[in-house]
Amino acid sequence: MENQARTPFSAIRIVECGEGVSAAFGAKLLADLGAEVIKIESPSGDLTRQRGPFPGNVPDSEKSGLFIYLNANKRGIVADLELAEGRERLHTLLEHADVLIHNVAPSERVACGLDSAALCATHPKLIVTSISMFGEYGPYANYRGYELTASHASGWAFLSPGASPYPELPPLKCYGHQLDFQGGAHAATVTLAAYLHRLKSGRGQSIDISEQECVAAMLEQNFVHYTYSGQQASRLGQRLIGPWFIADCADGKIFVFTVEEDQWKRLVELMGDPEWASEDLFRDRFARGQNNDALKALMTDWLSQWNVQNLYKEAQKRRIPFAAINTMGGALSERTFA
Amino acid sequence: MRERKFFVPLEQPGVGTMMLPGMPSKYSKTQWTLRRPAPRLNEHTGQIFHGEPWNLEGEYSQADENCGLIPGKDPTMAEAPLSGVRVLDFTWVWAGPYCTLQLAHLGAEVIRVETSKRPCPSRLVGPFPDKQPGINRAGYFNQYNQGKHSIALDLSKPEAIELAYELVKHADVVTENFAAGVMDRLGLGYEKLRSIRPDLIMISMSAFGQTGPFRGFIGYGPPAAALSGLFFATGYRGGDPCEIGISYPDPNAGVFGALAVMAALTHRALTGEGQYIDQSQWETVLVEMPEGLLEYAMTGREPERMGNHDSIMSPHDCYKAAGDSEKWVSIAIGSEAEWRALCQVMGKGELADDLRFKTAALRKRNESVLDEIITSWTKEQDRWDTTRVLQSAGLAAFPSMSNKDLTDDPHLRARDYLIQLEHPEVGRRIHAGIPWKMSETPSRVKAPAPLLGADTEKVLTSLLNLTRDEIEHLRKAEVLI
Repeated sequence: MENQARTPFSAIRIVECGEGVSAAFGAKLLADLGAEVIKIESPSGDLTRQRGPFPGNVPDSEKSGLFIYLNANKRGIVADLELAEGRERLHTLLEHADVLIHNVAPSERVACGLDSAALCATHPKLIVTSISMFGEYGPYANYRGYELTASHASGWAFLSPGASPYPELPPLKCYGHQLDFQGGAHAATVTLAAYLHRLKSGRGQSIDISEQECVAAMLEQNFVHYTYSGQQASRLGQRLIGPWFIADCADGKIFVFTVEEDQWKRLVELMGDPEWASEDLFRDRFARGQNNDALKALMTDWLSQWNVQNLYKEAQKRRIPFAAINTMGGALSERTFA
Repeated sequence: MRERKFFVPLEQPGVGTMMLPGMPSKYSKTQWTLRRPAPRLNEHTGQIFHGEPWNLEGEYSQADENCGLIPGKDPTMAEAPLSGVRVLDFTWVWAGPYCTLQLAHLGAEVIRVETSKRPCPSRLVGPFPDKQPGINRAGYFNQYNQGKHSIALDLSKPEAIELAYELVKHADVVTENFAAGVMDRLGLGYEKLRSIRPDLIMISMSAFGQTGPFRGFIGYGPPAAALSGLFFATGYRGGDPCEIGISYPDPNAGVFGALAVMAALTHRALTGEGQYIDQSQWETVLVEMPEGLLEYAMTGREPERMGNHDSIMSPHDCYKAAGDSEKWVSIAIGSEAEWRALCQVMGKGELADDLRFKTAALRKRNESVLDEIITSWTKEQDRWDTTRVLQSAGLAAFPSMSNKDLTDDPHLRARDYLIQLEHPEVGRRIHAGIPWKMSETPSRVKAPAPLLGADTEKVLTSLLNLTRDEIEHLRKAEVLI
């Protein structure tokens, strides 16, 4: 690293602490631009060290793929912030730091020396960015949470899977750590905003990021559906527009999806102008949304004759926005675009 | 992605060369590097505490003093972080406007360039109040464009392009999310705009990026989720791949777009340089898929669909609560102490000693039985009662929230997250506000979303010194429409 040219972002010195994905991702996004990051771990090490994936599936806390992805470009130390000695280490680092980014839960902050107001009073130029499930004040501030509960608290899981025919199955969390990634990405953005403000004013400040709020704002079927039209959105609802479904091809799955009428017309052409396509049930994208299941049934035979790649390519040639349901191997190898 | 070199090698001691998801946005000036492996536990404690923790020397180390933004120029402290930053916003639909929404939230003056000849699609779809459509009545548009200004400018007219050039002189940032190549065809490509405003920051947000073999492909949010593997990996245990309920790649691209613009503004503050940012929506999802992508790369296996379950933690599910098919409560247990506390709260203390559930690994193995036992407890009581009793024992539990639940929620209200501003055509409707708080600078939504073209005259007179007559003439010529 010492041989690399220093970038403007190397001016930004960041201390990171906490556990898991959100704070680590926020600090990573800035480390990758050149910021200097020192990561503080508890003596037992970050949780993501235990999560893997591991080479050959053999657990090894120094080989976790998730940990390595989140923490490359950082230097690492150990400090137990529940002990005075650990907090002393933290404060030594903060002496010359520009940013502290962490996701220690609000209920534990005072004990760990991470109370935002106290830190800002001691270090007036410091930017203290804290991420939590519900933010640092309000009735649920001290509620415990993990990715799963945050995902349900944000309203995302309630809407998933879309247009589900199975009321007996629960609302579904999306794959991975999306709530935590959003907490981290928002944290990095707002931290830079606070840094710009500091360049002008000479003063730091504290930032309070709520993952629930970050993701609740991102859902299309959220507040406005209720406050404009009184609609309670649900995973059990219908498609707003259609076609919009996952279907089987001969060798894999494809996402069948059109938005505009001209895309639908070109799809009908590609299907060889079947008679049913001109029926009133499918007259426009909203009617097709309502009759999405019928549409899927009528298209099943035709879809099953295709290879995913061929259909994807033929659709794209006609500017029909289908997509392959890529596996991870597919996404990595771009098999679908060969 | 291969041509765009999205996956980047990292030499990790003990593991070898790993190909990791790379940069979420491509910067023409700001360097993005993987330059150091992830640290071993405790690796740098000695180095850091027996020497200087930080490198305080070097070209950029005194950035504060050298940046040209003079400290003390902002004595009131009342200004938002991006006050004084002007964004000329050519984005539309969703991903792009979500980017500039973040910038407006941070205090930038965002001027949306729109035309009634071809309105933003989010102005044309419901929900509308009383189901009465109207170009200024759409819930989506009014959510994603809070605090912005709007000018009506038909970019198919040469005079409109000339006006755009004049406006660029006054802009710090230009944003767009047309299909790759459209801005060039309009004469609004980065090279042209940079010749007008040398320190301009411009971001292009497209489905697949401005380069590479798929740059011309058509894309939307939901297909990007399919291509990234998100549909494949999401689903109930033993079930098929699932669509994820929302068009996540759209607002996600907006979030990363805003981050990229903030990085470029920081770069400009420290060096004086503007730059161009090329963002691929697909790539911004892949940076949030490391677990699955690396599982395949490191083990050759595809991730298993597991519903609301987790690969390690157990119990970890969304359980049926008393009431209709929309009433559920999520519970996640992360340690043995938490497990024992859960057994106590449920009044099933004997479970803590049950050999089937003695460790997380055993609970994983017997998860179906365990989930049935927990459901027999949760299904008899209100989801909020379950939440309260578990949270008072320090356990992670929360109801699965609907849009109505969120709108009525006392916590979001106490945090002033839900905002209600007077809009001339739809009145006071609740919207999601700013998902962060800053202690020194205001985090307030300044105004509701603009009516189409509401600020045309104000912007053209104040920035370009156009006269009323000139504006009237341009209106008649259907340039300002």
